[in-house]
Amino acid sequence: MDSKEDEAATPELLSFFYSRFFPYKTYVNWLNYETESNGAFKNRELSFTLPSDAYLRYNSYNGEEDLKAEIMKMCPTKIDIGAIYTAKPKDKKTMRLSAFKPVEKELIFDIDMTDYDEIRTCCSGASICYKCWKFMTVAIKIIDVALREDFGFKHLLWVYSGRRGVHCWVCDENARKLSNERRAAIVSYLAVIKGGTQVSKKVQLNRTLHPFLRRSLEIIEKYFEDIVLKDQDVLGSEENWSKVLNCIQDDEIIKKLSNKWNGSNSKSSVQKWDELVNELEHAASASGRKYSKKAEQLQICKLEIMFQYTYPRLDEAVSKNINHLLKSPFCVHPKTGRVCVPIQPDDCENFDPFEVPTVSSLYQELNLYVEGERKVHDYEKTSLKPYIKYFDNFVKGTSKEAREKNRSQASMEF
Amino acid sequence: MISIRTIVSETGEVKNHNQKYPYRLNFYSIPPIEEITTEEFEVFALDRLQVLKAIESASLRSRTELQVADHIRDISNQYLPLHSTDGGKNYPLEQERRKDHISHFILRLAYCRTEELRKWFIKQECALFRIRFIEENKEERQAFLNNERLNWNDLSQNEKESMKNELSHANPHIKFNDETFFIVDFEQVLDLVSRRAVYIKAGKAYVPTSEQVTLVVGEFRKRLSAALNLASRAFPSIDDERILPLLNNINQQYLGKTYVYNNNTIVDKVTADNVDQMVGHFPLCMQHMHIKLRELHHLKHFARMQYGLFLKGIGLTVEEALIFWRKSFSSITDEKFQKEYAYNIRHSYGMEGKRQDYSPLNCNSIIMNKQPGPGDQHGCPFKHFSEDNLKVFLTQTGVKKDEHLKAILDIVKGKHYQVACTKYFEITKCLEDSISRGDDERHLMETIKHPNNYFEQSVKLSKINNSQNSK
Ligand code: SF4
Ligand SMILES: [Zn+2]
Repeated sequence: MDSKEDEAATPELLSFFYSRFFPYKTYVNWLNYETESNGAFKNRELSFTLPSDAYLRYNSYNGEEDLKAEIMKMCPTKIDIGAIYTAKPKDKKTMRLSAFKPVEKELIFDIDMTDYDEIRTCCSGASICYKCWKFMTVAIKIIDVALREDFGFKHLLWVYSGRRGVHCWVCDENARKLSNERRAAIVSYLAVIKGGTQVSKKVQLNRTLHPFLRRSLEIIEKYFEDIVLKDQDVLGSEENWSKVLNCIQDDEIIKKLSNKWNGSNSKSSVQKWDELVNELEHAASASGRKYSKKAEQLQICKLEIMFQYTYPRLDEAVSKNINHLLKSPFCVHPKTGRVCVPIQPDDCENFDPFEVPTVSSLYQELNLYVEGERKVHDYEKTSLKPYIKYFDNFVKGTSKEAREKNRSQASMEF
Repeated sequence: MISIRTIVSETGEVKNHNQKYPYRLNFYSIPPIEEITTEEFEVFALDRLQVLKAIESASLRSRTELQVADHIRDISNQYLPLHSTDGGKNYPLEQERRKDHISHFILRLAYCRTEELRKWFIKQECALFRIRFIEENKEERQAFLNNERLNWNDLSQNEKESMKNELSHANPHIKFNDETFFIVDFEQVLDLVSRRAVYIKAGKAYVPTSEQVTLVVGEFRKRLSAALNLASRAFPSIDDERILPLLNNINQQYLGKTYVYNNNTIVDKVTADNVDQMVGHFPLCMQHMHIKLRELHHLKHFARMQYGLFLKGIGLTVEEALIFWRKSFSSITDEKFQKEYAYNIRHSYGMEGKRQDYSPLNCNSIIMNKQPGPGDQHGCPFKHFSEDNLKVFLTQTGVKKDEHLKAILDIVKGKHYQVACTKYFEITKCLEDSISRGDDERHLMETIKHPNNYFEQSVKLSKINNSQNSK
């Protein structure tokens, strides 16, 4: 199959998508978490971006029907999901501010390719290609396993953002109920890349790596050569290798290596990396330096560079605040026309952002579909099917957890 | 005499307890019940405040934990000595502990009223408790914890062995074989989690005894913050007219809320703590930003740049600048401050990045460049204020006579902002009367070209006046 061309989502295509494909029922079930008479869903903030670029915050709905009616009417180019509040967000204006407080929201993560601009050499800004998409694969792998094994979360929904990044929704009950302080602690545990554009060395490690970093390093080691050295060729041009050398806190080594590399274009990044590693090891074991602080620093420097060039770059502000909104799954990206579909974390290396259905491809698929005996849903006639199925299954999981919780609570009340 | 009981009984249940203090450490769950003099009341409160204040500035100066502890021990011994039980022969333990107990409760009242005050108090008290807990000997500690019924599940020997690698990697500094681990929910040790200083698995944290202090301080913080919330609701019911002013006075002192402008003080060394006293020497633009900083606890980027470089120009060192801005931005977390502001401050002192040493902006560039947008406080009031606002501000800052006001505003209308600034200087420093009598065009001063020049002139002038006065 050819990869699907980017194609802006026209209002006609959008409304076609919203009427035939958007999974309203599962969606409402998901956000409701089995609360009685849609209690959680009713108090959930949804906000819409309209084609006019107007941004409407604090919408809320009673259920599937009025949600669908409104979406069909507004035809939003983007839907954001916010927190569950103490009351219906649409009544916010009529309430005292102190009575309107966010109480729950999924723990969310946002990883965006633009944050990789200082390390990727293939593209920049909004564009992506197969080469840099691999950064997202590594990001999913590292964060997913940490959230599951370290924090014990089970219900993680990974979603393609429609263009150049991924989102993660941690839907476990204890994740939804986290205070801001706790969210911040989790983010700080997971965040390894620190510092803004004016800081060249963004990773500081201790000599003994924490088990979480050790595990992350194992994943990084699998990909580093392939992604960073071969695909991105970060030691290729002088402009790029000098950025890498800037992470080394030793002027002598920097000078030595840049003398070696200057003017010679014959060496590959892999060869240069070997030279760099050798140089670091040599300097660390040089006489008089063994076991010194400096030697330690040089030894760990190799790992710091590997982390800086491979470790996921999280948008920390998004995750730290219970109020923060995040683009909803199954939106359509207005520029690319791609649907924000779920990604299976255990199969994320096979996820291809260029194969994701676009609204226009769905339109064609539906037109080409030959009706059979059995009556099937529209989505089942198209390449959207596996994604919707996956989402259905995911929501079965979160609903089950919520039901069990309700049951155990009911029996306790007896 | 004031009965503490009448104050503190509002804050919670008064348990009947004998006035003996078996432990040096105290969770302050039981309010003191006794009468003390107003004098003692104030002395106790201010002494404890000295200690808390020292803790704050020690941690702001980012010394090592050891240095901070040393420093605090010195200050404590001076203002609020508190010795361990084994020092009983040499020290009046009962008295020390009574003072510790009562002073804590007085400050609790003084600092319960707003979120900001509570946050400040909790932070410093937790730090103090932490230092004391670490210093206490093992037996006393354990006895105290037993008494408070604080204990956590231990990791069994077998489990411990099976996790040996993970545990020792997460805590490389411990002696693994001697260590016991507690199993708690990760939420109980957020501080360790965020520093990756503990092994966590499936939401459980495995905390070594050496980090037990984090658990205990966590418990201390939890209880204290609950008690403060309770007290804040009880506060309005305190109407003892002897106590209220005392309490108000206490909590105001340490957030830099009231700045005393004393024209006669010329401080030679500019520090984070005495900037407030120098505001009287500042030109209008800097006065404005200073007032806004105190009011909003924040300034936007260009204002931080304009004001920050000015302060640098009058002699505020980079260390002091970090403290000054950290304290001033009182509503943000340390982490946010470190991440978003500390770099830029050091940068402006040439300590980061291109290591360019930036000099304070002159009037011309303040007036011409970077026009302030919504929410911006930088710029030059003469140029960037509406006439009405400028009028109000001039009146507030010492232009009392209508003719003076009119004179300045006329100059502003002619777009001679720096001349207006000079006029303002002359008027507020009372040079006006002595000079303009004879010749209207004559100025004692050269036109102000630089805010820092304004400052220097002002300081110089007050030195002259001082020496004349003392003759
Ligand atoms: S004229 Fe210069 S010194 Fe005076 S207020 Fe304006 S900018 Fe500041
Ligand atoms: Zn690319």
